[in-house]
Amino acid sequence: MLRPFTLHRPDTSEEACALLARLGEDAAVYAGGTELLLLMKLGLLRPRHLVDVKRIRPFDGITDGTHLAIGATVTHRTVERSALVRARCPLVASVARHVANVRVRNVGTVGGNLAFADPHSDLATLFLTLDASVELVSPRGRRELSLADFVRGPWETAREPDELLASVRLVPWPPGTAAAYVKFGVHERPTLGVSVALRLDGTDGDSEGRGGGARVADARVAIGCVNPRPARVPAAEARLTGVAVTELEDVTGAAAEAASADTDPADDLYGSADYKREMVAVFVRRALRIAAARARGAEPAARFPHAVVA
Amino acid sequence: MRIRLAVNGRAQDLEVASHALLLDVLRDVLDLKGAKRSCDTQVCGACTVLVDGLAVSACTYLAVEADGRSVLTVEGLADGESLDPLQRAFLDAGAVQCGFCTSGMLLTARALLRENGAPTRDDVLHYLRGSLCRCTGYRKIVDAVLTAAETAR
Amino acid sequence: MSARPLRVVGHPAPRVDGLEKVTGRARYVTDLVLPGMAHAKVLRSPYAHARVTRVDVARARVRPGVFTALSSADLTWCEPYFGPAFRDRPVLAIDVARHEGEPVAAVAAVDEATATEALELIDVDYEPLPSAITLEEALGPGAPLVHTGEPLSGHFADLSTLRPQPGTNVCHRFHFERGDTVTALAGADLVVEDTYRFPPVQHVALEPHAVLAAWDETGALTLWASTQNPYSVRVELAKMFGLPLARIRVIVPHLGGGFGSKTYAKLEPLAAALARAAGRPVRLAASVPEAFQTVRRCAARVGTRVGFRRDGTLVAVECAADYDVGAYADIGPRVVQKATYTATGPYRVPHVKLDARAVYTNTTPGGAFRGFGVPQLAWALESLFDVAADRLDRDPVDLRRQNFLAHGEEFAPGDTPIDGKLEESLGRAAEAIGWTRAGAADRGRGVAAMLKASVAPSVSEAIVRLHTDGSVSVLASAVEMGQGTRTVLAQIAAEVLSVPLARVTVVQPDTAVTPYDQTTSSSRSTAMTGRAVQVAAEDVREQLVRVVAEALGVAARDLALEDGAVVAPARRLTYAEVLVLRFGMSGGELIGRGVIAPGRTAAPLGGSTPFWEMAVGAAEVSVDEETGAVRVERYVSVADVGRAINPLLLEGQDEGGVVQGLGHTLLEEMLYADGHLLNGTLLAYRVPRADDAPPALECRFVENADGSGPFGAKGAGEGSLIPVSPAVANALARLTGVRFRDLPLTPERVWRALRARGR
Repeated sequence: MLRPFTLHRPDTSEEACALLARLGEDAAVYAGGTELLLLMKLGLLRPRHLVDVKRIRPFDGITDGTHLAIGATVTHRTVERSALVRARCPLVASVARHVANVRVRNVGTVGGNLAFADPHSDLATLFLTLDASVELVSPRGRRELSLADFVRGPWETAREPDELLASVRLVPWPPGTAAAYVKFGVHERPTLGVSVALRLDGTDGDSEGRGGGARVADARVAIGCVNPRPARVPAAEARLTGVAVTELEDVTGAAAEAASADTDPADDLYGSADYKREMVAVFVRRALRIAAARARGAEPAARFPHAVVA
Repeated sequence: MRIRLAVNGRAQDLEVASHALLLDVLRDVLDLKGAKRSCDTQVCGACTVLVDGLAVSACTYLAVEADGRSVLTVEGLADGESLDPLQRAFLDAGAVQCGFCTSGMLLTARALLRENGAPTRDDVLHYLRGSLCRCTGYRKIVDAVLTAAETAR
Repeated sequence: MSARPLRVVGHPAPRVDGLEKVTGRARYVTDLVLPGMAHAKVLRSPYAHARVTRVDVARARVRPGVFTALSSADLTWCEPYFGPAFRDRPVLAIDVARHEGEPVAAVAAVDEATATEALELIDVDYEPLPSAITLEEALGPGAPLVHTGEPLSGHFADLSTLRPQPGTNVCHRFHFERGDTVTALAGADLVVEDTYRFPPVQHVALEPHAVLAAWDETGALTLWASTQNPYSVRVELAKMFGLPLARIRVIVPHLGGGFGSKTYAKLEPLAAALARAAGRPVRLAASVPEAFQTVRRCAARVGTRVGFRRDGTLVAVECAADYDVGAYADIGPRVVQKATYTATGPYRVPHVKLDARAVYTNTTPGGAFRGFGVPQLAWALESLFDVAADRLDRDPVDLRRQNFLAHGEEFAPGDTPIDGKLEESLGRAAEAIGWTRAGAADRGRGVAAMLKASVAPSVSEAIVRLHTDGSVSVLASAVEMGQGTRTVLAQIAAEVLSVPLARVTVVQPDTAVTPYDQTTSSSRSTAMTGRAVQVAAEDVREQLVRVVAEALGVAARDLALEDGAVVAPARRLTYAEVLVLRFGMSGGELIGRGVIAPGRTAAPLGGSTPFWEMAVGAAEVSVDEETGAVRVERYVSVADVGRAINPLLLEGQDEGGVVQGLGHTLLEEMLYADGHLLNGTLLAYRVPRADDAPPALECRFVENADGSGPFGAKGAGEGSLIPVSPAVANALARLTGVRFRDLPLTPERVWRALRARGR
């Protein structure tokens, strides 16, 4: 049961931003509502105005170009099923398939997810390995921020109150990149999310990194859920860069330890700090092994209880 | 706000508050009590209805979002006296106990089968991840969905 | 009457309420609407323990749309306390709030939004007090007392001997002994002992508690309530309002799950009080978080010591159990007493010393939950059995078999002898899990057995009515909460009267219409209520036969019932025709009555159990050692049920019991910090999902028709849940060498234990 509010349905981002500027703290941005309406039901947020952004046309598409741009109001389901996403960055589609549950995916949006900045967000973690940036619009114009700069902390972003997240831009990995996303946890939100991507040099790899080249030219490792915000781990990435694919197994341990050491978890419902730290190591190792197998052209039948492998 | 929608194939023209939730409009205005309020937080699926064929948590979905759309509730599954294969399968398999999760399970399964007419057991488990049952232990529910898929093929 | 094969009983008849459930037509309390109905909301204490020095509802009361706002000070026209064991639970907090979530004030208004807003207009002053959240805190020296003063005893005869310990948080003590355990243990070749903990968990019925209360112009009260025992609720309300039982009517539509959470009064007293004050019907529906604040399972700390002879003979069991019953006793004292009585499990034990305490804490009241205190004790005993087997170098299946009580053997003097064959369940479970076959190196197998008494003495009555068209009504107050009792009762009547199932209607429980039934719990409905229905149907059969015998001048023994007719050597009369004979016109009905009331006996708990519930569980598990995540790959449950009246429904119920047991075994635990419940919502409290069910799950039944229930039936539904945690822990121990004493076996807990062992 919700308290009454006025629902505004602007057709343009200009209108929407103007509304936000005028209404200030009394307004909330509304897209899918899967987070917002829940917080309103719990009484934690009591906006008297909702600004529905779903009628803003440029927000609801996925476009290709130098970047893959996913509009803010695109639902997880649309991402999961998008032929474009599957072609350009299939792991994004696979991860979208496992966000929350089917009902949340049908209604919840990518923009809503990123703007809400839940530390447990799968997409935020994954997108960090795709050089993601967000496009923000406001009465002052447009600006672009890296995702890492946009997400400041738990449920905290750099979005100004009169700003709207218009899209997220991803830099799809080049062909020959082996990647994996693994999340682990017993609860509704995962305890841990690990995203790894290994760009391999060499020529023959397909867009999913199979049958690719002989050496890791560039590595991405991002950890989500266990820290105040998802983050890449340069120390882990350094351990992987330049390593021959055939020798990847030898360095996964070191990369995993580096990722684990970089973590600063707290004790909470999702686990105690030392458990989370250890699980970072475990799942970075596992994710790297899966990526390494994919680099060799194999698809490992990896299944771990309470874990999802994408 | 005025909304015009189809519910179980029947046109409805309603005046609803902008903050009205679809679950309450279905239950209290249209007297369709099959969708239930349980967790009220989108976790359990007892409130599931289909909007344009997609499963949504009616407890956390504004009624105004259904404007111009078609909504399917459990009351709309049967064609007169003729049960949907899913309903038939649930009954035959013994997949119904207290019944509180049943309408949500049926509609979620219906959405799955429309999307994938030959699901594997894993596909069913993936789809039902957000549909809780405390009575059956799920086995007969999953079996019923697979049986209904076969029947429909 | 010639014996003929059973036509309806023993068959997987489709459930009689299935169609309405799959078409969304089944009605639960929150689907009901009465003209002028008000909606209620409850203001609840945010503190685990606090003095309530002021509750001011004045502003709420005058808000437009509010019909009434109540605090305990307003309840001058009723008894403010209720409770089945102790009447210790106030309808609204009086001077002190004893748990987080305790109702302090309540409002009934024109709609939920108004009621919710009105709550914000109520001013309450609290003075937080020190609280006792855990057993240790509640039992320690200088522990804050949850209750002071003497509560009145509630309405159960067997608990008229409640034994609280004044000046402490102990509200009941139970002691049982035979022989001399001290000497026996001293002389035993092996003694194993340890302390086990069982967490507080919640039932999470998908339908939270709900009540619709309405007073009529004559001052009589009607409630539609999601309750498992309408008659208990009726007694409670009668005492509360000083009304004769006959002026109170409790009706039960479908329940969206119970599992014990809806036994004994919960929200009904408050709903009735609100309806009285509002002067109109009031619907009070709890949310899931409110259900977490209303009732849960009694957590427990169990210390068990078991002595064996070298040859594996069990000689002695000592058990000291403390049960955390939360802030109000609810049925906690009976849980403690009844469960502890069978702390020795399904074994023959000459020397026994059992002590248990029901302990108050400042948390959600603990009440009945499937298993009724036995899961907590079985967790300890069945784990220790495997520890002993290991030390004796014996196979755990074999060690159990050696010590099982035999069919017909005495459990305790005066009580019903064992009425099942435990070794048969064990043998079938072991076979099904492949116990003697070599297993995969990454899998472990474990077994556990259970024994539980059903509530005794108890009473069930039923009426069967045969109408002029030969159709049948069954009037009984067993509540349908998914387990299929409506169907089972219909099957019994259909079988006895030889009519198709479709000709039988089971009337919904309604204390104005359906006769007394003590409770729908304790796995008793088929055996007790079912037996009452059987007797009532037999009564109708006698009447039919008598009419025809007299009319045709034949002996009763030459008559049989067949397909809705009384069949004589040369004649066949439909029931409709028989009734015309009886009444001389078209009209009238035959009414049969069944009363099952075994009464008090010399058994230790005051009544002899109508049947023993016994079952075995066997689990095969794997563990991801790096994360500690346990997966139950296979589970087999075998329950000794006498006769499965409806095998399909029974199998479904037991599958559900196993998976619900996996909840407290692997996932579920109510977590408190500083008196606050951290995870009282489904966002944070993890119940099993579809992919948590074991990929291979088998529920089987031993049917030797050796029960006192209809057609040799006994009870079932709890036996599938009780062995789950020890079976899984035993499997895990065999696989990893690590023994667990605390539940749930979350990945982190297992991981930590594996690390301590050294991998």
